[in-house]
Amino acid sequence: MENNHKSSEVLPDNYNYYGTRPQGGFQDREVKKPPSIRAEKARTMYLETKSSASVEFPYWYTRRWEELEGEIPIIRRAEALKSGFAHLTPAVLPGELLAMRKANYLRGSYPMPWLSEAFFLSKEDDLYKEAQKAGKASADEATTMGQGGGNVTESSGNVISIAGKFGLRKEEMPILIKTAKRWLNRSVDDVGHKYEQLVPGYDTKEEIMRAVICMFDSGYTLPQGREVINYYYPLQYGIEGIKKICRENQANVAGFPEMDRLYFYKGVHTMLEGLQTWILNYSKEAHLMASLENDQVQKSEYLEIADRLERLSESRPDTFHDALQLVWIFHVAVLNEDAISGLSPGRLGQVLYPYWKQDMNKGILTREKTIELLECMRVKFTEIDCFASMGVVGGVLSGNTFNNLCIGGLDKEGNSAANELEMLILESAISCDTPQPTLSLLFDEKLPEEFLLKGVECTKIGTGYPAWVNNRVAMEFLLNNFRKEGMQSEEARAWAIGGCLETSPGSWMPLELNGETYFIPGGSAPATSVGVHFISLPKVLEAVLFDGLDKRTGRRVYPPHGVELDTYEKIWTIFKHYFSLTVEVLTLTNNIQHDIWGKVSPSLINSMLKPDCLATGKDISHKGSRYNRTFNVEICGGVNLANSLSSLKKNVFDEKTMTLDVLRTAIESNFGYLSALDTGAYSLTDQVKSADYKAWLRIHKLCLDAPKYGNDDKYADDIFREWQLWFSKMCENYKSLYDEPLYSCQISVSTHAPMGAVTLATPDGRLCGTTFADGSVSAYPGSDKNGPYALFNSATCYNHALSQNSQLNMKIHPSVVMGREGSRKFLEMIKAYLRKGAFHAQFNIVDSRMLRDAQKNPADYRGLMVRVAGFTQYWVELGKQIQDEVIARTEYEQLG
Amino acid sequence: MKHYDCKYYLSTDVFKGICKRDKKFINADDDACENYMNAQKCKYCSNFTLTSDELGTCMNKYEAYPEMNAVTCNDFKN
Repeated sequence: MENNHKSSEVLPDNYNYYGTRPQGGFQDREVKKPPSIRAEKARTMYLETKSSASVEFPYWYTRRWEELEGEIPIIRRAEALKSGFAHLTPAVLPGELLAMRKANYLRGSYPMPWLSEAFFLSKEDDLYKEAQKAGKASADEATTMGQGGGNVTESSGNVISIAGKFGLRKEEMPILIKTAKRWLNRSVDDVGHKYEQLVPGYDTKEEIMRAVICMFDSGYTLPQGREVINYYYPLQYGIEGIKKICRENQANVAGFPEMDRLYFYKGVHTMLEGLQTWILNYSKEAHLMASLENDQVQKSEYLEIADRLERLSESRPDTFHDALQLVWIFHVAVLNEDAISGLSPGRLGQVLYPYWKQDMNKGILTREKTIELLECMRVKFTEIDCFASMGVVGGVLSGNTFNNLCIGGLDKEGNSAANELEMLILESAISCDTPQPTLSLLFDEKLPEEFLLKGVECTKIGTGYPAWVNNRVAMEFLLNNFRKEGMQSEEARAWAIGGCLETSPGSWMPLELNGETYFIPGGSAPATSVGVHFISLPKVLEAVLFDGLDKRTGRRVYPPHGVELDTYEKIWTIFKHYFSLTVEVLTLTNNIQHDIWGKVSPSLINSMLKPDCLATGKDISHKGSRYNRTFNVEICGGVNLANSLSSLKKNVFDEKTMTLDVLRTAIESNFGYLSALDTGAYSLTDQVKSADYKAWLRIHKLCLDAPKYGNDDKYADDIFREWQLWFSKMCENYKSLYDEPLYSCQISVSTHAPMGAVTLATPDGRLCGTTFADGSVSAYPGSDKNGPYALFNSATCYNHALSQNSQLNMKIHPSVVMGREGSRKFLEMIKAYLRKGAFHAQFNIVDSRMLRDAQKNPADYRGLMVRVAGFTQYWVELGKQIQDEVIARTEYEQLG
Repeated sequence: MKHYDCKYYLSTDVFKGICKRDKKFINADDDACENYMNAQKCKYCSNFTLTSDELGTCMNKYEAYPEMNAVTCNDFKN
């Protein structure tokens, strides 16, 4: 066996660079601004804190749930939530301006066994083994978790590590197991599993999960999220005001048909009582902290927190600070209702602008104080953790929670919605760079140049936000999909990004303040990305080439097609057949899971917030939201699929440089390389040859040299386009739980790592176990050779509005965008891409050599962040698979 | 006695926290100082009965565990 790395006979030295490979020492990013002292202290404390789980919420939730055996499920759920919130231990830290958090710990979270109880039990436990049998744990095994930062990767002392990320005090484990076991056969997971087995073809679904062709079920893992929250009701009415609405509506519907409305209003009222106790417990804790404090400034801050929380436990806010605190309370409250990733605050700067402008006019707020508050808000959002399995939290989310804050876009009348507060949101994101909330700039030609340049200044700090998103493309997508439910252009403008990149419908709601009415935007749909979650396209193609088998395990996934693949068209036809079979069975089983979720564990807090649930008395699982066509099909590895089809077509059928049998054998032999799973290196450039690599050298080179997406090459782009057009259309053949057609969604998040890990080499020359291309229109690392504008042409070879999103990542060397001139050049390049009809672009402004250094010396880079796919994350909290992929991405040394 | 059991211990994560009195960072499992006072935990509640090393009952009715914070529990009795 040879141990030297990549062969120059196959990959050139500058493989991962466009332009001249940089020499000398690596270059840092350009813009550096410090945060306020207060925010810096809070951020430092965060960076020194470990992800920590606790049991008190699930304990009290379960205890109350069991007391109410026989009660109507939504009332039981409301009472259980009330008890959970009322018993959370409050913690107010020195220096905080915004109080309250998910749990007692700074990065606190907790298991929710009412959703799924098996994954956090020990591997020896019968429940775990049962989950394993159903293929649910396969994604966990293919995932590598970040080994640094706040992850508790190993058990030590009195702390037990769960899912490679969360620490739990040892003394809490026995009660957690007891609590979890009480949900056996009662959790959404278990009840859903019982009924999904009634779907014809269920066995195929299990094999699909086992092969990691699909990453995870959505009904019990992350049933909510990938949506935009709506803060309108608490801001307009306050908690007591909402309770009054509930009482009035209760009286109006009691005894009349559609009685579920009565229970919904009663449930919301009950749940709000729990939130009030929770808030008041924090107020009491702030008083206690004040009583122990000698520093008069700190003491008065504690007392201000106590007073503010006491007010907000009943009343609507009057000031910017109060409004921001109330927004935060409800954001956390929703996150405590379910396991959620991607609960986006949406266009928060436009929601809070009336309060901010009022306070500025009154002279009770300054820009400096605003920035300090916004910086503190950033740290608070960064504290959010989502407790989920390793496959979900590591393999999909990379530990991120996707709280996407949008800026820009258009207002209700169609004018630029950008405002002064959003400029300060950008400023605070520059001075206090943290992963959360990530920013998305809703680009429209009507936005002022000064605002766009501020966005560029922020993007240049190198943390990947704001992402640049095309307002017009999103509106077209929304009108195509939600017109049937009454959406018009005016309301389409209220949209925002939910989660990392899910276009989500919104609405304008009339907020009254000081006699004026302001129409504020907010989310008006439930989770916009549930259903079929991440189908691995290269793995489906692998099954096509090997007659329905998962070659890694030897298990049969699909029925044998038995077709002699002697034309390209036959391969494409069988691919479509297998893919359709996958979507069909996963749609049906996930529909059942989500139905069970709505029955066993309905949403009360998020439902209350979402127009028009309070008006109709229906929760979000009963189509109470204004817009409900929200199920989708997510895919991963689209570019590797297109490149592989291109290679097959070119090499096997057009030019006949190899037979399909030879290519199959080359794939099984990994083109003469060791598997990435054996070497622990996951990018193409770092693979290790085996003894017989020379036997496959010619074949491998032909595969690598076949036309690739991302080079404005018609051969490859036509294949990519054909896939895109077929995919977006075929999704409409399947109906969601709500009897609405599905739509296509194209984000990889982190799934391109674990899904790549279980996939053999592919016909495009990618090697076994290495990651796929990220996003949906990002080129495969190193394969885009003709510069950014060629990449843009490839990416826009189809209409992006056919899909909920598209996703393009680019890595640019900091020197390319340096200075004012660099900013303008950069902005023009972004505009050029979006004007072609692209939906989204995001950027890593970073020297790859710095990332390599960070991989070697993680302790020196605790604060380093990178953009992955729709989110920004601390480098040290990323798994090695994703780290290697980000390093390998083509680095642009010039923009032209 | 450990910081972890002290009324003035404010945990920031499973390993460590802050002393509410002097605001210093402390490890959960280190020995407490002379200002130690029992935290409001189930194990110090008269409604709690220990049934094994790590589990017990609350009001002879509910399963409970000794280390649980009871600062928000209306039934806590010293």
